[in-house]
Amino acid sequence: MTRKLVQALPPLAAFTVLLLLWEAGVRYGFLKPYQFPPVSRIARGFVELSTTGFPTGVSIWSHALTTILRVLQGYGAALALAIPLGLVIGALPVVDKLTAPLIVFCRSVATLSLLPLVIVWFGAGELTKVFLIGYGCFWVMLSNVIAGVRYVDPTLVRAARTFGLKGLELYRSVVLPAALPRIFAGARMALGVGFMVIVGAEMIGTIEGLGALIMEARTFYRSEITIIGMLVIGLIGFTISAGLMALERAMLPWAGNLDRVRR
Amino acid sequence: MKPLSRLSAASDLTLGLIGAILAVAAWEISARTGLVDPAIFPSPSLAIRAAAERLTAETVADNLFWSLLRVFSGFLLGALAGAAVGIAAGWYRGFGAIARPLIELLRPIPPLAWIPLAIIWFGLGEPSKFFIIFLGAFFPVVTAAYQGMRSIDPMLLKAAQTFGLSGVPLLLRVAVPAAAPDLATGVRIGWGLSFGVLVAAELIAADRGLGYMIINERNTGGSVGVIVVGILLIGALNLITDAAIGAAIKRWIGRWHGA
Amino acid sequence: MSQSPVMERRSPDAGVEGHGPAETAFIRIDGARKVFTQRSGGAVPVLDNVDLAIAENEFVSFIGRSGCGKTTLLNMIAGLEDVSAGRIAIAGKVVTGPGQGQGVVFQQHALFPWLTAVDNVAFGFHKSGLAKAERRRRALDLLALVGLEAAAGRYPREMSGGMQQRVSIARALALDPQILLMDEPFGALDELTRIELQQELLRIWEARRKTIVFVTHSISEALMLSDRIVLLAPNPGRIKRIFPVDLPRPRLRTDPGFNALYQAIWNELST
Repeated sequence: MTRKLVQALPPLAAFTVLLLLWEAGVRYGFLKPYQFPPVSRIARGFVELSTTGFPTGVSIWSHALTTILRVLQGYGAALALAIPLGLVIGALPVVDKLTAPLIVFCRSVATLSLLPLVIVWFGAGELTKVFLIGYGCFWVMLSNVIAGVRYVDPTLVRAARTFGLKGLELYRSVVLPAALPRIFAGARMALGVGFMVIVGAEMIGTIEGLGALIMEARTFYRSEITIIGMLVIGLIGFTISAGLMALERAMLPWAGNLDRVRR
Repeated sequence: MKPLSRLSAASDLTLGLIGAILAVAAWEISARTGLVDPAIFPSPSLAIRAAAERLTAETVADNLFWSLLRVFSGFLLGALAGAAVGIAAGWYRGFGAIARPLIELLRPIPPLAWIPLAIIWFGLGEPSKFFIIFLGAFFPVVTAAYQGMRSIDPMLLKAAQTFGLSGVPLLLRVAVPAAAPDLATGVRIGWGLSFGVLVAAELIAADRGLGYMIINERNTGGSVGVIVVGILLIGALNLITDAAIGAAIKRWIGRWHGA
Repeated sequence: MSQSPVMERRSPDAGVEGHGPAETAFIRIDGARKVFTQRSGGAVPVLDNVDLAIAENEFVSFIGRSGCGKTTLLNMIAGLEDVSAGRIAIAGKVVTGPGQGQGVVFQQHALFPWLTAVDNVAFGFHKSGLAKAERRRRALDLLALVGLEAAAGRYPREMSGGMQQRVSIARALALDPQILLMDEPFGALDELTRIELQQELLRIWEARRKTIVFVTHSISEALMLSDRIVLLAPNPGRIKRIFPVDLPRPRLRTDPGFNALYQAIWNELST
């Protein structure tokens, strides 16, 4: 316990010194407060954001909720489509080979480059954002599910075959569980993509959501609000990703080092 | 087993090609038969015709040049900085103890969320785009470099020490090569992220580049065909450059590292 | 039925080149070939014209350099790989796939990482139609047989290499197979664990009356365990020579007979 405290001391001290220098730099005129809003101003900005809101009436929590809901809708839809599809494609080698280059290309298409096209399809509303998140998450998830199913340790399959398992039964009781760590890894990667896409998508044609908040704040010279928004985005991403890790650990207690399942 | 897998390598390519051709054919047919409205999602042939009408090779080449210049410069410096910081944080404990928490604090913030701040700091010109792309490469590379340094087999270091190596020579001749495979993974991820960030930055705030080219087409009420061609061009560019970086990595460490 | 073959096993003509006594052959390999097709269309012979008869309850080891096809031959007996030409029969029935009374222990333990020790063994009863509780009870019995009842709840990653391989043996025994096929099962273990497991295996073999086919790289391991040692040579894989091991059990490494055979096999392997 005390050792942990001692270990945390140098970074904490460094961090505090950095913030103090920053604050002092602004006070004594070395740094422009607009470019480097001091901690005191960020704190006041946070109070304003969580009470009155920015723009007035829309608190930081409501921005955050909007963003989270958008991500979850697109992410959820992507997972709901990609997991079953990937499980099927991965089980059929011929279909996998037919679709492989197509999937690689679709994954290479920069998700946000679709924005102008998707606006033509769905207008600049909610559906466009959810679609973009879904697109980005879908291909990442799909390729991971397929890889998970395809690259199951062949000795495990052989071992199961010695007990007479084949076909669907072999798939269900051996291939599927063996693919789970990779599927979970894909889910975590896809979530990262989702958060990346939403921030970009919200910067165009909307005033709600954290991406819109940080962009709007800039045009009103409220850089402290931009910084708060960034920190909240980081915090949400971090929390959800940690939640997924915990879920993974609870659901796959047998998989030792989860970071090692990356290929 | 090995000859078998080589056998399938040939048919992989053929099947993949067939799949791609089928997909393009299905797209073309669905647009021709009116299954999909060509006005909102034109067939490949229509899109290419529209693009050929509205864009000159010069315009495309100019935008392409700017996009590539931005992404390469930002990525190169971001990856170099990431590698340097990550390796130093993994090697020098004191530096690592201070640098790591700061990096971990900033890492969950997606690079695109830095766009407004980048504009505040550097204005609307090239430096702000450079900065965002730099960040896109920096964070994956710094994380991978640090992890690579931390997971070096200590026996390797001990073995080198028995030959009298220590300090910077030990770092450069043994530790960095040992961390290279992890570093390479980070570089690959960093490239993908830099590229995605480039397109977004060009959509949001730019007056040239491929991302600008397609959003401008949409804002000026131009042709959907041009947008589609632009998207495919960006996708192809990403694919080709990623493959090139993959090949370069393979040349670099492939001879002694399996992947 | 289980008495006479034991006698046969020790009979002097059991080691006749290529064939065991025809009427007692339990596993019968006739002119078995294995050819892998290459991308260029060329065919690589992996095993060429292998004849071998293995008696019931016999313990036979395959030994040879890498690439001599010993694992391929084992996999073909297991029904995990097709025979390109010739045939393999168990108790008069041609092998067409796994599940004809062959239990297999793999080189890497091949335990399912998401199942605990007892569930891994219970996996062996997958096709048995037994109730869940009964499967578990039998799986625990098998774990007890290999001395691991205390580790029933552990996942593979929580066990040592030796324990993993014990679970793997228990799992292979689940369906009470007549044949146990083992592919370098102790190759990755340290010497002490290895000797321990060899003794364990002999105990199980004697208690449960199995026919064992054992692939190994180690001459002394083959000598410690087997009734006969089949030496394979590469390019293409074929049987070069068969050594009967007529040493009484328990065997000692210091026995002069042991050493003489060791030298003979070594000479054959290194030419």
